[in-house]
Amino acid sequence: MMWLPLLGLVIGILLGLLTDWRIPSEYSNYLSIAVLAAFDTLIGGIRAHLQNIYDEHVFVSGFFFNIILATSLAFLGVHLGVDLYLAAVFAFGVRLFQNIAVIRRILLTKWLESRQKNRL
Amino acid sequence: MLTQKTIWHFTLVSFIIGFMLAVQFQTNNEPNVRDTRDIWEIRQDLKKEQELHEQLLTEIRKYEETIEKYEQQRAESKGTVLRQTLEELKKEAGLTEVVGEGVVLYIEQMYDESYVGPIHDTVSADLLRRLINELNMYGAEQMSIAGQRIVNTTVIRDINGVTKVDTYPLRSFPIEVKVIATNAEKLYNRLKASMIVDNFALENLLLTISEPQKRVVIPPYDGTVRVKQMEAVEDGRR
Repeated sequence: MMWLPLLGLVIGILLGLLTDWRIPSEYSNYLSIAVLAAFDTLIGGIRAHLQNIYDEHVFVSGFFFNIILATSLAFLGVHLGVDLYLAAVFAFGVRLFQNIAVIRRILLTKWLESRQKNRL
Repeated sequence: MLTQKTIWHFTLVSFIIGFMLAVQFQTNNEPNVRDTRDIWEIRQDLKKEQELHEQLLTEIRKYEETIEKYEQQRAESKGTVLRQTLEELKKEAGLTEVVGEGVVLYIEQMYDESYVGPIHDTVSADLLRRLINELNMYGAEQMSIAGQRIVNTTVIRDINGVTKVDTYPLRSFPIEVKVIATNAEKLYNRLKASMIVDNFALENLLLTISEPQKRVVIPPYDGTVRVKQMEAVEDGRR
């Protein structure tokens, strides 16, 4: 069952490549920020799951809400003439790194524990 | 632990991410086709393009010639002459707006404070006609009374006590009379010297004559000109 999300990712990429969809280049900013927001949510979800504080409502609502918020921030930035999307990029980037670090530590601890158990 | 539902959520999210990634990737990676032609192929292509260029130039030249031909035909045709004549006639008949040097006259009521008696709230048609005649005598070319262009067929008459220029009643004072003349200075001086101001004063009206102005705008005649007594010459009888 663990490979299902990975399969979903692969299918999504394949479908995206095969349908040959292109968005106008002026909107590529929005899409990139949406991708970043989605990634942040996904990694956050994995971390929450590993820490046993995962809640599916938080996860699903966070996914869509983050995307919408990030794109509307970028939209607002374009209209104000300020690169506001950089704020979103920064916030998501920092969170992404933090979450990945937490995941890495948890996995490392688990691995070390299991190795010690095996040795004993 | 991981429930079925959670797995599906993760799958859905990663699917959406994958899709967005792919679209973004495709948008940003416009395929840059590498040029792998060798020098002969490039020469051939160049030749092809040059031929196309030449062909297009020939076509442009052809169309330009056609345009020129048409323009020439138009310029030489009777139509242009006729149109010019029509414009001139229209101008003469007063169907166009005229801008020029001239003077502006104002007709106002002039009653003494101690005046007792009937008050006329219009200018008599006779007086107005007299003014127009006087202006024509002094070299006026175009004129309008209260925004109504005076043309050859304009009638000024008294209808039930109200003076009307064509069909426009003159009821409110001051009445503005705009006059354009080739020599506005001369017109102004002659008006000043004439008796017309006194004639107006006799009817308790004050005629003020402005200094000659560089720019006086006279509107076109807005009615239709009816020709009753003239007939077009038949072609055969010329």
